Amino acid sequence: MTNSSTYDVVVIGGGHNGLAAAATLAKKGKSVCVIEKSDAMGGMARNVAMGEGVSAPQIAHLLHNLNPKVAKELGLGDLLKGSPLPTTSLSADGNHVVVEGAMVRFADGTTHPDVNAYAKQTAQLRKFAGLLGQLSTKSPPKLDGGLTSMAALGELAGLAKLGLNVKMMGKKDMREFLRVVLTNVYDLVLDEMPDGPLAGMICADAVRGNYVGPRSPGTVFNLMYRLGTGGEVRMPKGGMGAVARAFEAAATKAGCDLRTGSGVARVNVEADKVTGIVLEDGTEIATRAVLSSAAPMATMKMAGIEHFDVEAARRIKNMRCKGTVAKLNLVLKSAPQIEGLSAAQMAGRLLIAPSAETVERSFNPVKYNELPTAPVVEAVIPTLSDPELASGGRHILSAVIQHVPHTPTGGWNDANRQQVIDTVVAQLEAHMPGLSSTIEEAQLLTPSDIEDLTGAPGGHWHHAEMGVDQILTVRPVNGLAHYRFAVGGLYLCGAAAHPGGDVTGVPGRNSAMQLLKDGVLS
Amino acid sequence: MGQHDKYDAIIAGAGHNGLTTACYLAKAGLKVAVVEKNDWIGGAAVSRSLHDGWTYSNCSYVCSLLRREIVRDLELPRFGLQVIPYEGGASFTPDGDYFASYSDHDAVRREMARHSPADVDAYERFSQTVIRQCRFIRPFLLRNAPDPASLKPRDINELLFLVKKAHGLGAKELGETLRFWTMSIGDFLDEHFESDLIKAHIAGAGIIGTGLGVYSPGTAYVLLHHYMGDVDGAIGAWGFARGGMGAISNALGACFEEAGGTIVTGSGVEQFLVKDGKVTGVALDNGDTYEAPIVASNMDVKRTFLNHTEEKHLPEDFTKAVKRFKIRGSSGKLNIALDALPEFPAAPEGASFLRGDMHCSTSLNELERAYDDWKDGHWSKDPYFDMLIPSQIDPTLAPPGKHMMTVFVQYAPYDLEVNGVRSGENWNDDTRKQFADCVLDKIEVAMPDIREKMLHAEIRTPWDIENEVGLTEGNIFQGELTFDQLLFNRPVPGYAQYDTPIDGMYLVGSSAHPGGGVMAAPGANAAREILRNIGKGSAMPSHNE
Repeated sequence: MTNSSTYDVVVIGGGHNGLAAAATLAKKGKSVCVIEKSDAMGGMARNVAMGEGVSAPQIAHLLHNLNPKVAKELGLGDLLKGSPLPTTSLSADGNHVVVEGAMVRFADGTTHPDVNAYAKQTAQLRKFAGLLGQLSTKSPPKLDGGLTSMAALGELAGLAKLGLNVKMMGKKDMREFLRVVLTNVYDLVLDEMPDGPLAGMICADAVRGNYVGPRSPGTVFNLMYRLGTGGEVRMPKGGMGAVARAFEAAATKAGCDLRTGSGVARVNVEADKVTGIVLEDGTEIATRAVLSSAAPMATMKMAGIEHFDVEAARRIKNMRCKGTVAKLNLVLKSAPQIEGLSAAQMAGRLLIAPSAETVERSFNPVKYNELPTAPVVEAVIPTLSDPELASGGRHILSAVIQHVPHTPTGGWNDANRQQVIDTVVAQLEAHMPGLSSTIEEAQLLTPSDIEDLTGAPGGHWHHAEMGVDQILTVRPVNGLAHYRFAVGGLYLCGAAAHPGGDVTGVPGRNSAMQLLKDGVLS
Repeated sequence: MGQHDKYDAIIAGAGHNGLTTACYLAKAGLKVAVVEKNDWIGGAAVSRSLHDGWTYSNCSYVCSLLRREIVRDLELPRFGLQVIPYEGGASFTPDGDYFASYSDHDAVRREMARHSPADVDAYERFSQTVIRQCRFIRPFLLRNAPDPASLKPRDINELLFLVKKAHGLGAKELGETLRFWTMSIGDFLDEHFESDLIKAHIAGAGIIGTGLGVYSPGTAYVLLHHYMGDVDGAIGAWGFARGGMGAISNALGACFEEAGGTIVTGSGVEQFLVKDGKVTGVALDNGDTYEAPIVASNMDVKRTFLNHTEEKHLPEDFTKAVKRFKIRGSSGKLNIALDALPEFPAAPEGASFLRGDMHCSTSLNELERAYDDWKDGHWSKDPYFDMLIPSQIDPTLAPPGKHMMTVFVQYAPYDLEVNGVRSGENWNDDTRKQFADCVLDKIEVAMPDIREKMLHAEIRTPWDIENEVGLTEGNIFQGELTFDQLLFNRPVPGYAQYDTPIDGMYLVGSSAHPGGGVMAAPGANAAREILRNIGKGSAMPSHNE
């Protein structure tokens, strides 16, 4: 037995949620150790070196939805400083549409015909999103014991408050809320405005990261989730890597031990209670509680499937987590140009989603494990905000490609990987003339690569599809929704737990609070 | 100036729902007239003779959802309604095999074992879940949808009924129910079964009549819409109305006339007449006017308010909500007269499943691709269809030795795309024939000699169904069955209890809760509302389960 040690809590996975959970517990005086199997903390928020002098966002490339409560508790406020980025939805005819907050205009400053419709719809969705947001920092409502036991009523308080707040909006808003909350974004948008780059942008934001097209019911909920903290998008100084470092610093400062380079092989369980963990290198650590930001299936396997009843195991197996987002990083010799965009617009979020129809069509091939032909692309050039990210006047273009299959029929190979790169570069080049001749290096992460790299099941950004059938009381699965994961002292703290994905820090923080509340450590 | 008559109530449209409302009102003692634009009654529940000697149920074609409480209240069997259950069905494959279902549970298990042994156990779990969901939903069909924004005692009472029923499920089941209601039929089946063929066989019920694909969230609920019915108490069973679906409408019509009602065919409503926010009657195409303080429209919500009511009588928000209501044409039909029963090379002689619903779809992906074609304005190149030969069970439909076949096809668009233009007018004899050929090519998988046996075929596109029956876009449910259009959202939030912004005017068709299918529940529920509002609530039989 080597390096044997004891902690109050071991956190599996050093992504932002694992770090948020660890920091929250350490601040309450618990001894905490975070185990990260790769060589660095940060999970999907890390930067990665691409050759000498280039630091590119490995997976996530923009900060949105960081929960203000988490930011305040963990001292991450600096990340939310600086002004939000504009979003430009690129149009083939050069009339690019720029959105800042609830304001839409054309890139040249002229008025967009749907300016009022967009402002009205955004204001309403933000209002609804704010209501739903109240549920995110609480444990999801519980249904055990039905509606009669006092304990259950306590758990239902959050839901009751939501109900009350919905009712307080007044009849008209309440009815609209109940109509749109489960519906699809395609109809919601096209009921108010003609199809085009603005509709495309809204639809693209509603489907990003999920295995859906804009016609899929439930996509309005996804859009509201995105708008939960206002929908602002930021590029922190230092890029996304700064986000990973800030979470890491919060954990370190709170006194957590961080270990990298060896993952957790096994969670030891005795008499239905966690007693410790064993690392892949054989190190044993004794602990009373384990918070896992790994996937539910992986966590179940670490603890031993025999501790889960058959139904729970089957539900976990049936979780929907088909990843559908790929990531492309390009190192460029010079800054790309788009005619008609200002410097601030160039440095913002650039979208290729010219219409709601094209976003729906982008979803078609992935359903059959086919390669995309015209995927939705969200690009950003972080070096325009922070030139220090690449030396020698070079630039990075980071592109999130929506609707790439986890594994195409026949598997990934050099040829079809190159085909995806070429498709996306050609789409970008249509707006950025000469782009391909400036590419020094290109790096593609398919959903399959993302799964290998981060352990996210299916390479899914949110660890589990953010569908209405997998949120709140049934996230990650029915019966296991309150972070407690079947074995005493074992908790989930990653994006598969309530409220879900994005760099919010909330599942980690909530899980830590639940552990403390349950009194496992006292 | 045409004829001018006065009634207590007028029903616009003699579909099964309009006739159901009419029956209940007439039996409560009201003087009621039903006006119908076609020369026949029945709306989409009709039996038509379009080829000499044959009778086609040329719209709806099978029966299960018709609420038994209504059948009993109106004594429909006394007026000739007889529903004969059919047993099982099959999905044929291009390699000469099939998957068959039977009414005998063990026979289904054996058939599943032949294709995929692991699916036998899954079938037990699947069946339990579906039956449990059906039992949960059935009591709501003949009740009003509560308005959560209202504080009226009745709405609170209905909400409490919902909460009580939900509570009765227990925590685990409630979680599963919430999940079931919001997930896709594709995901639901993928969780249970391994065999593509078995999944495809079951999945059809989740997409029939909708503008959704098998992987669209919410389609598991649509499956319920096809499973929650019964024939003589056998939940989930389907049957044929003897003499075609028109037998249902004819029985309702006879019941209505016996109760003293008047049916006027051959001229439709041109305009709903409104004065000072109150309905006063209807003006017909032929110039006749009928006066009544109560007018109920069996037309869908769009047709009622956008085509036949002056906009000035309606609040702006209401008109906007009606325009936004989604009624999407997605299905077509072939009604075929057969010279003899076609050959089924794959099936054993006289197999029972040949008398049931037959399909030729073999995987969920095939069904999803069929949906993708439709989204772009095309009929599915590789369509899903639900075909039956009811004349095997009901000999009244065709001359001796000959047969009638009905083929329901999913998907066919309303606004067909041709050369970049999407329009219903692109449906012409040429495109109609191409559509039918595409379907017949696939039917040949099951019956290679279908074209030789075919004497006559009526090809029905969403455009044709709209023009003949009056259903907007030819949608069989008078409105998509998506969350934003169910329960208290159907058809317009705040007007989900059969009422409208116009005093005395009601909606009684499938645009209203609980939606489409030949269920008659909207018609009966609306009658209860109307009678209650005029102080005759006690004349309505109670349906509380």
